[in-house]
Amino acid sequence: MTIAAHGLSAERSGRTLLHPTNVNLKPGERVGLVGASGSGKSTLGHVLVDTLRARGTSVAHVPQSPDEALDPLRSMAFHWREAEQALGLSPDDARRADLFNALQIADSDLRKRPWSWSRGMQQRFVIAMALIGTPDLLVMDEPTSALDPVVAAGTMGLLDAYLRDRQTALLLITHDLGLAARWVSRLMVMEASRIVEDAPTPRLLSTPETKAAKALCAHRNWLELPC
Amino acid sequence: MIRIFAGLLARAVVVLTGTALATFALLWHAPGDPALSIAQARYGTVVSKEVLDFIRAEAGFDDGFWTAFWAWLAPLIQGDFGQSSVNGRDVWPDLLTAMSYTFPLALVSLGLGLAVSVPLALIATRRPGSWMDRSAVALASVGVAIPAFWLGQLLILLFAVQLGWLPAMGAERTAHSILPAMTLGFGLAASLTRILRSGILEARGQSFLPAFHRRGVAQRNIARDHVAPHAAVPVVTVLGLELAFLLEGLVVVEVIFARPGLGSFLVNAIFARDFPKVQAMVILAAVIFVVVNLLIDLIYRILDPRMDGRDA
Repeated sequence: MTIAAHGLSAERSGRTLLHPTNVNLKPGERVGLVGASGSGKSTLGHVLVDTLRARGTSVAHVPQSPDEALDPLRSMAFHWREAEQALGLSPDDARRADLFNALQIADSDLRKRPWSWSRGMQQRFVIAMALIGTPDLLVMDEPTSALDPVVAAGTMGLLDAYLRDRQTALLLITHDLGLAARWVSRLMVMEASRIVEDAPTPRLLSTPETKAAKALCAHRNWLELPC
Repeated sequence: MIRIFAGLLARAVVVLTGTALATFALLWHAPGDPALSIAQARYGTVVSKEVLDFIRAEAGFDDGFWTAFWAWLAPLIQGDFGQSSVNGRDVWPDLLTAMSYTFPLALVSLGLGLAVSVPLALIATRRPGSWMDRSAVALASVGVAIPAFWLGQLLILLFAVQLGWLPAMGAERTAHSILPAMTLGFGLAASLTRILRSGILEARGQSFLPAFHRRGVAQRNIARDHVAPHAAVPVVTVLGLELAFLLEGLVVVEVIFARPGLGSFLVNAIFARDFPKVQAMVILAAVIFVVVNLLIDLIYRILDPRMDGRDA
């Protein structure tokens, strides 16, 4: 089933955070959302997730920072149980062990609270929580910014297999064009709270049309130097 | 956890020793001859030199500050508060009787304060900025501004004099504690409402809450498991300070309503210059403070273990 959300918009106290925007994703499609800081990428991600959720579409979101995903007063075990209950699932140790092994956080102590884990481990825990269910769409906001390059590559590899198995679509919000070039087939470029260019990744990276896309691609050839 | 507890305990000992020393030093250096004050309280206005000398020797005033301090502190450590310098009776039984009147009143007032402030804060924060919220804030501000001695008299005027529903003076029946408890409880409720309200609003603004909505956690569970604990932290912190307000209010309220208790005990002791009783009362207040703040520190560390940088 194609995921389509039309007329997404956001404003706060009279200021427009997102101009009316349409987003369409085919099942299993991977799309990157790129643009300068403050261009409205995260806002579009939030509005898209909230709109689809309200409509009953199964969608998971990984925020930019684990601080925006975890309650510092609650243990990791509490977060995990709560996420399972929210999806209506009963506790499944095997499922948890699979995800934790894949994300290399199996040795960590779930009784601890988030701040006694490293940020990279917190981030992988949040990604694991997003993968508990089988969402139709996974929105990830800078998923690898807290991870070192080796772990980042491993995490993306796990995601690749997971998304392919379940036909889950991916919206990857990032300023890392190398990451985008490696993992997504289509790129959307944002500038000043609207999408200004939407094209297959190789086409956009080789011949960007808009000023914003040209500025992003100017520094080096992302297709030749992925990741 | 044991190391933290030992640290808190050591701090408590230092505070108590300091309080004992400061109380004793203040009374020792207070203007006027303490022997004369005691003699006057005991025997009347005209006192001979022999009597003064006798009292000085009896109270240990001739031996110098440190000897006298130790003569007072050593029995105190073993729980002996000494004898009244006016009537010679042991201080401790009288203090115990006073506590049996004051502590239940303090607990009921605290309970009343919480019973009023929690629902009020919840109603106020349902829609911040609405007329309900503004009314609750206004009511709380008025409540904080009204001093206990005035509120107490207003309540007496209304419920005891005008309506004749409740007794005003004394402490023979349970009904006697209703007006004093209301006087203290409303003052507490007012300040607790303000703290709870801002605590709830701040907790609701935590940056991680939208992620819990997006994860599909029910609104009710978010309020219970993530907003309430964060809102409770400032309230627990402030409860220790509220205790000071409560003790101060108790003195006023017990005098207004002519109730026996720690407040009347202290005021009567001061008027009679009964130093052992005053000192006993100050030490007791310090012990209560230290114990309650010790408990609050522990609760705080259980609620928010980031305080000591490791897991509890």
